[in-house]
Amino acid sequence: MTVIRKASAFEILNHWVLAVSFLILAISGFGFLFQLEQLNAVFGNFNAMKNIHNYAGIVFTASLILTIFHYLPVSLKFGADDIAWFLNGGGYLSKKSKVPPQDELNAGQKLYYIVILLSGLAIAASGFAIWLRPQVPDIRKLVVLSHLVHNIAFDLMIIAVPLHIYLATLANPGTLRIMITGTVPLEWARKRHAKWVRKMGY
Amino acid sequence: MTNHWVDVKNADVVLVMGANPAENHPIAMKWVMRAREKGAKFIVVDPRFTRTAAKADIYASMRSGTDIAFLGGMIKYILDNNLYFRDYVANYTNATFLINPEFKGPGELDGVFSGYDEKTRKYDKKTWSIQMDDKGIPKKDMTLKDPNCVFQLLRKHYSRYTLEKVSSITGTPKEKLIEVYKTYASTGKPNRVGTELYAMGWTQHTVGTQNIRAMTIIQLLLGNIGLAGGGVNAMRGESNVQGSTDYGILFHILPGYLPVPSASVVDLKTYIEKFTPKTKDPKSVNWWGNRPKYITSYLKAIYGDNATKDNDFGYAWLPKLDEGQNGSWLMLFDQMFNGKFEGFFAWGQNPACSGANAGKVRKALAKLKWMVNVNLFDNETGSFWKGPDMNPKDIKTEVFMLPCASSVEKEGSITNSSRLGQWRYKAVEPIGESKPDSEIMNELYFRVKRLYQKQGGKFPDPIVNLTWNYGEKDASGKIKKVDTHSVAKEINGYYLEDLKVGKKGHLAVNFVSLQADGTTSCGNWLYSGSYTEKDDKVVNMMARRGKKDIGNLGMHPEWAWCWPLNRRIIYNRASVDPQGRPWDPKRAVIKWNPDKLDPKTKKTAPGWDGDVPDGPAPPMADEKAGKYPFIMRADGMGAIFGPGLADGPFPEHYEPLECPVQENPMSKKHRINPTVKLFYGVTGPHDKPVKDGGRPEDIFLTCDIRYPYVATTYRVSEHWQTGLLTRHLPWQLEMQPQQFVEISKELADEKGIKNGSKVTVSSARGKVWAIAVVTDRFKPFKVMDTTIHQVGLPWCFGWQHPEDGSGGDSANLLTPTVGDANTMIPETKAFMVNVEKA
Amino acid sequence: MARKALLISPELCIGCRGCQTACKSWNQLPATKTVNEGSIENPPDLTPNLYNKIRYVEMPSNSNMVRWLFVSQRCMHCDDAGCIKICPAPGALFKTKEGAVGFDKDKCIGCKLCVAGCPFDVPRYDEKDKVSKCHLCSDRIAEGLEPACSKTCPTGAIRYGDRDNIIGKAQKAGYEKLYGQVDLGGLGVLYAFKDSPKIYGMDERPQIPETVVFWHKVLKPLAYWGLGGAAAVSLLHYLVIGPKKDEGGDQL
Ligand code: SF4
Ligand code: SF4
Repeated sequence: MTVIRKASAFEILNHWVLAVSFLILAISGFGFLFQLEQLNAVFGNFNAMKNIHNYAGIVFTASLILTIFHYLPVSLKFGADDIAWFLNGGGYLSKKSKVPPQDELNAGQKLYYIVILLSGLAIAASGFAIWLRPQVPDIRKLVVLSHLVHNIAFDLMIIAVPLHIYLATLANPGTLRIMITGTVPLEWARKRHAKWVRKMGY
Repeated sequence: MTNHWVDVKNADVVLVMGANPAENHPIAMKWVMRAREKGAKFIVVDPRFTRTAAKADIYASMRSGTDIAFLGGMIKYILDNNLYFRDYVANYTNATFLINPEFKGPGELDGVFSGYDEKTRKYDKKTWSIQMDDKGIPKKDMTLKDPNCVFQLLRKHYSRYTLEKVSSITGTPKEKLIEVYKTYASTGKPNRVGTELYAMGWTQHTVGTQNIRAMTIIQLLLGNIGLAGGGVNAMRGESNVQGSTDYGILFHILPGYLPVPSASVVDLKTYIEKFTPKTKDPKSVNWWGNRPKYITSYLKAIYGDNATKDNDFGYAWLPKLDEGQNGSWLMLFDQMFNGKFEGFFAWGQNPACSGANAGKVRKALAKLKWMVNVNLFDNETGSFWKGPDMNPKDIKTEVFMLPCASSVEKEGSITNSSRLGQWRYKAVEPIGESKPDSEIMNELYFRVKRLYQKQGGKFPDPIVNLTWNYGEKDASGKIKKVDTHSVAKEINGYYLEDLKVGKKGHLAVNFVSLQADGTTSCGNWLYSGSYTEKDDKVVNMMARRGKKDIGNLGMHPEWAWCWPLNRRIIYNRASVDPQGRPWDPKRAVIKWNPDKLDPKTKKTAPGWDGDVPDGPAPPMADEKAGKYPFIMRADGMGAIFGPGLADGPFPEHYEPLECPVQENPMSKKHRINPTVKLFYGVTGPHDKPVKDGGRPEDIFLTCDIRYPYVATTYRVSEHWQTGLLTRHLPWQLEMQPQQFVEISKELADEKGIKNGSKVTVSSARGKVWAIAVVTDRFKPFKVMDTTIHQVGLPWCFGWQHPEDGSGGDSANLLTPTVGDANTMIPETKAFMVNVEKA
Repeated sequence: MARKALLISPELCIGCRGCQTACKSWNQLPATKTVNEGSIENPPDLTPNLYNKIRYVEMPSNSNMVRWLFVSQRCMHCDDAGCIKICPAPGALFKTKEGAVGFDKDKCIGCKLCVAGCPFDVPRYDEKDKVSKCHLCSDRIAEGLEPACSKTCPTGAIRYGDRDNIIGKAQKAGYEKLYGQVDLGGLGVLYAFKDSPKIYGMDERPQIPETVVFWHKVLKPLAYWGLGGAAAVSLLHYLVIGPKKDEGGDQL
């Protein structure tokens, strides 16, 4: 069986860094949002949780920025096939539906990335504003705004990420291996990223 | 205070002039606010819009030092509009008295009363005398019409104080004057009462005493003395100033306001003759007629068994003043400056900051050989030798610091403005080596005494003969620890022999039982009754905490104890009509009750209900035994005409020593009070400083373009006096960290001074830096058709603390060396300065 | 327990600042080194060590050269407290049984969100970034004492008592509606204003920032339901449609 490389080791590493930091942030964020004292079993106390949240935020932000090199260029390519992909519900709506050939990332993944990038940047920026309180004329206004942005972004991500996880695991057997070995079977790839496979010269 | 703090709530109109209680007596301000809540009108007259003014119903601004003009206008207003309380004035004041026809006022004599001698700057008061009938009783005109009666003289004197004139002197708009006059004069009715609260804003002027006199006249005209919600009320500047005055802290009085004799008063007999006022009027109580009892009992208290009939009760040991000697603050420091003192006890004070013309004071300290500084903290006084402009190498003064205990570290009484002696307990032990003042004195006393005993000396008797029975003695005879209770008992007085009034060794019941023959002792007759015996049990009356009240007037007769005799409102016999019925039944202080039951015998024994009356005698109208209300005055009458003062029987407006106008608008000739002691020579016609008229330290400049702005000094609620206690409290310093000068926006514009910037304030004598607080709370005055700016600055800062010097220095570096003609209280409330960007 | 409250009457306040010092004394709050910036109002703003401050307002007046108002400025102990609402740390800000809004520095995580949630710009943060503000002397009132400020105030400008009682008394004294009577569910610090609150430096209608309310009402539940929803949709999809099978042909 021919396998082709879909993700570099660095990309894999970075993805996991992003994923783990996100999980920490999301869990602690949920903790803050709903004052989940049960989480003290994990983080010790809310002060520690805050520190972890803040520093995880740095990691997340750095990692997110690195993803730009991996995913942004392809995500910005949006053509008729992508639209068709969406019109077909990504092929998820029934066993029979077909989708047009897709790039290295399918249209859904592209959109997902854009959402994650934008909300990620927003949540990072607002998070840093709340944390570092820059010298501005009206810090309270900035904090209130940041609080809003942080929470909108969080809401977006907290909906998007679980879907991403599902689609990348249970819904699509074989996908997860990209983030483990970095390779996929050629056949598997043909069925999902035909354009890319072609481009790669297979 | 004639009345007391709580009583302010009973007033219909409260006038605050010469004071700023919201800032300096905030606790007392409660009663003003209470009155206001009940509908009283609150008037504030002040050069500056103070925190007190912020609460006023009517605020009138007035140039510093023009109170007499302001009040003179009010007197005229009251007389012109017949707003005075006629029955009161005719019956209870000397308005009816006929004065020597030779008497002339400043209206006739260009600024002075008759009898003025320009050379001595003193009055010969011959012409100020009261006409007596052949029985030796003052001649009266009950119709108040005789041109020589006080009432008509008063009218004549103040006829010159027209609204226009007053307004042009004070800078107060005419409408404001009328508003204030009208409102205050509304209390001239029996059922309306007004009170006046004053403090240093009135006393610290060259006409300080007369400021208060002017108000006294108004209060007598309106019938406001003796009544609940009335009176002329001095708010003392410290919690125990009343007490210290009562106990003779001033140079000219012994405890209980007994005069300090001068050298010519050679023996007790002469003393009694000289200082015991007499009256031939059977209706006059003339309480001071009891002087012989008080002075004798006082001598017995301090010299004990050593004081015998044969040695004149030790009268010879009393310190005497030289003839004409004045030992007031200004004089003391002047003498010190002249090198006349070797040593100085700065006890609980900080003259290097609190003294007028503090620069001179600081120089004077350098002339001392030694100084003992008794205080909670070192201060600008104790450390004067390392202060600004001092060269420690040149200063030989040896300074000793004796740390003393604070008020919560010792037990004893304090007397507040209400004349209320309240006992306080020790809360904590004194810190470190600090000791209560009494212990320090005890040490000092026994050491000095021992030196006298060992080495003899010029005049050991006053020291070695003192009783000093204040507790248990050690083997050497020294008191181990001063027991304040035994001091308080000595003050109250004892029966020294078995007497009709009580048994030997017992505490005197009150001053009525004191004797002039040496059979009683009493340290201060006013306080007799404060620590006494009831049913053979010793009671410290000052420690009482009963909350019972009389007539809901807040008199609380069982709360602590006030002098005299626990009388809460003095001259309360004036609160009733001559038949003994309260002028205002709703506010009855006392009331004659013909059906009163004697609680012991259960028989009727007519007497007074309510407050402790000014004597048990029946009301004045009682043919046989009735008495006049003003018992401390020989003639029994409230003094509208006051010939006792140095500067005139009626208050007259004079300008402050330093003022912004060329001449006194009331007199071409006499700009300033003609009887003040001058430390720097003047020349006529407008009392300008003479060239080389004295020492540069005492210089003053008036109407001089170099110092064009009127200035005044004040305190702030955040600091205490010179700030010695509060500048060491970071919390207080946080609120009020730096010397500031308040100036109007108009002046700031003129001078290009920005709010919050540093400026230099200078006078002819010194300068200080200050932060400019540019505010609408000062406004320029229109005085004699010119615009006059006034500024003001607090005197609570000093160079020593905060240690980084960020606080600034005392405003008293600017104030002049000159005092009131009667009291010599320095004139720190009106002087001239310049303000420049620093 | 009856809800307690302070009634502040600027009409009676003489600006003596006894309350400012008493507060510092009871709470043992260190002083700040200040300078005079051209006003006696000092420190110029609330600080972590200044819970209660007198604000001095100079206003134009018809009858005098100026009108000078003194107002105590501090935490209002809101019923609907924006600070508590926005605070992420359990127990850092809390309501006492008397209705005071207390704080616990040990539980505070120093995120400083509460000042943004507060309509009155009250909370301040100490050098360890812990929240600090008036707590209505919760330690004193729990023992049945009154707060240090009202205890000290000589004129009755700050009065403490049962909230209903205080409102009743003020109404009797002619203040029909007190500032804070209904705002934010009713404040625990009521003001007897004679004039528009603006003059005293207060918002006419104090409000928790709208976004904070929006967050509280919408975004917060959305996070909960969003996560649950995403999980539910995934599960449903898995059960109903199932994972992608690689039958069929390539994407061509
Ligand atoms: S005033 Fe601010 S800090 Fe105080 S309870 Fe209300 S929201 Fe919280
Ligand atoms: S203690 Fe009372 S009167 Fe003094 S500033 Fe505070 S609130 Fe005002």
